[in-house]
Amino acid sequence: MSAERETRIIMISPSSDITPDQIVRAIHAMGKSVTVKEACYGAVLEGKREIVRDVVTELRKLDKNAIFTKVRAYCAGDPRRCRAHHGTRPGFAQLEMEWGDLWKIQHGLECADRGEKANERKTVKKLPIDEFKKICEVK
Amino acid sequence: MKVFIDPPNSLILFDLVERSGHEPLSTMALIQEKIENTEIDMPPMNVSPDDVMKGLKYAGIEVPSGVRGRLALWGPMIEEAEAAIIMEDCPYGFGCVGCHRTTLMVRYLIKKKGIPVLNVNYPNDEEEGKELVIKMKEFLEGLK
Repeated sequence: MSAERETRIIMISPSSDITPDQIVRAIHAMGKSVTVKEACYGAVLEGKREIVRDVVTELRKLDKNAIFTKVRAYCAGDPRRCRAHHGTRPGFAQLEMEWGDLWKIQHGLECADRGEKANERKTVKKLPIDEFKKICEVK
Repeated sequence: MKVFIDPPNSLILFDLVERSGHEPLSTMALIQEKIENTEIDMPPMNVSPDDVMKGLKYAGIEVPSGVRGRLALWGPMIEEAEAAIIMEDCPYGFGCVGCHRTTLMVRYLIKKKGIPVLNVNYPNDEEEGKELVIKMKEFLEGLK
């Protein structure tokens, strides 16, 4: 991987009050040498790796449990991916799906902050054969 | 620690692993390397015959090319991993769509490697979201 460049997708949980515009303005206000592009789901952030990570850490202070990020392989505006250049966006279906689930993760993070414990999920067990026979009245 | 995430392109898993101070191993970082650092072999994605051979290390020649192609990227990543988090029962559109055989093969490779593995279920509601986050937090804190 390039030691220098890092591009990140910043995504806001649907249950958050923060808007993509606020994210972009907050990044601009930091005055760091990064490129930021507003997107429908949040923003695309690009710059030197250390600076980008600092910006993400700062940005999380806005609403730490509602701002999610991941690395993006292609740089912002890459003609192979950017819609402005009629690029394809094969990863967007995944992003859209995960965006819809972020509120559940946000809830989980808030519970984890409060020190709550996980409730064990009721697992569906296989039906014992005797019980199945009883149901079918095969005996 | 380097933590392999499955699906390897998941934002949720990537973010949660990174929040715990570990390094998530994801497809995105590998693709970045491919499109940036290599010389222009086969533009635009730079998939070269070497990648095909890498895939052959993990799956035989009779295996469909899609499986080998994916394993050419994910196989070396699993070798590098020190722990893994696998999300189970994902909906169809979640993760790398189209090849369940690759998913099975990835799980087999992880199991064969013998690294600590956490299996979590896809969250269908907020209670399951809580369960996912807390289980991952406990697992990742235990790795330190």
